[in-house]
Amino acid sequence: MIKEHELDKLIICKKCHTLHEKVKLENKTKAYCSECNVLLYQQDHDMIERTLALVITASISLFVAFNFNIININIQGLEQSLTLSSLFVVILEHEQYVVGLLFLFIIVIFPIGILFATFLLLFLMKVGKAAYLSKRLLILLAHLKPWNMVDIFFISLLVAMVKLFDIANIELGVAFVAFIFTLILDIIITKNLSFHDLWAIHSKIYGQIDEE
Amino acid sequence: MKNEHYIRCHICETVNYDNSITHNCRRCHSKINPSLHASYNRTLALLITAIILYIPANLYPILSTKQFGTNSDSTILGGIIHLWELGSYPVAIIILVASVVVPLLKFLLIIYLLIAAKYKTHSTLLDKHKIFYITESIGPWSMVDVFVVIILSVLIHFSGVQIYPGTGATAFALMVFFTMLSALSFDTRLIINYEKGNNVHAS
Repeated sequence: MIKEHELDKLIICKKCHTLHEKVKLENKTKAYCSECNVLLYQQDHDMIERTLALVITASISLFVAFNFNIININIQGLEQSLTLSSLFVVILEHEQYVVGLLFLFIIVIFPIGILFATFLLLFLMKVGKAAYLSKRLLILLAHLKPWNMVDIFFISLLVAMVKLFDIANIELGVAFVAFIFTLILDIIITKNLSFHDLWAIHSKIYGQIDEE
Repeated sequence: MKNEHYIRCHICETVNYDNSITHNCRRCHSKINPSLHASYNRTLALLITAIILYIPANLYPILSTKQFGTNSDSTILGGIIHLWELGSYPVAIIILVASVVVPLLKFLLIIYLLIAAKYKTHSTLLDKHKIFYITESIGPWSMVDVFVVIILSVLIHFSGVQIYPGTGATAFALMVFFTMLSALSFDTRLIINYEKGNNVHAS
């Protein structure tokens, strides 16, 4: 049996669970799975700085998306606008508490939590402090990741707009543009960051610190 | 390379030994070796909860329209048929895929994986890993219909005409929630388990 740290040289593909032995990569190159062509890991020296900038931009656009009108509709002179706060007011008015609670977590708390945790994590890694906290943040992020549904909310928005197309005048609000912007940034961030790479950088920055 | 003796931590993605003495991941210390039997039962229980919730989600109205005092309800299937008749085929197909095909596909895939953990099946290890990967990634897309109903209920909120979410929406949202939990509690070692010769009862 080989030693524990030897295991760091191995990687298991997330899609087909094939075991690979890692090779040293040049800067700005990527390694793919030989079975199913999924990205395994990549080597990029300024990944943290670049992603940190993207996360800050994404936070600003998410703030705009949550605070301004998403769409305004006009049905024969009657006007109504969709904002995040009006969403919750209407849900509470209709007494749909379960849906409201799920909605609150999926659309508001988790996306904000993910962005904030990513920001804090990358910032801590950049300055190279608080090894234990950044480790906890990495674990927290892995738990939060499957519950982020901003992209699905956006598709639903488009479906709702198509449904209303015949009966109402639809006007896109500031937040709608901000939503598209947040989504694009979100896709780039998730494409850039893989947990495997983050953990590799983490152990490189802080060394093998064992807090127990 | 074969990976029979290694296990991937689902939190930090590191490689660990798969043996009886390893209980926690060597890097993030999250549990990686709980009893397979417990994982199997938890997945099954959550799946049954989700399937039960899928029945009221389809029978009760997901959306009610109150128009000058008269109420009209529409269920998921009714809504899809109505959209199809109106001629908005793309939207009808999106909703059909998101709220009928995806949940049913997910139920079937998880049931298949649970059966494959106990009995011998024709598919290879690689196929089963890919099936699980698909199950995990299509999960949240069924939320589309619930979100659409909520958005519509906010926009159509006048004194004369009102749309509001019905009981079906609550059941449907909970159904998605439980199927996601079910997929999350499925241990990938259940897939390799049969191949190794010791099935769930042995662990």
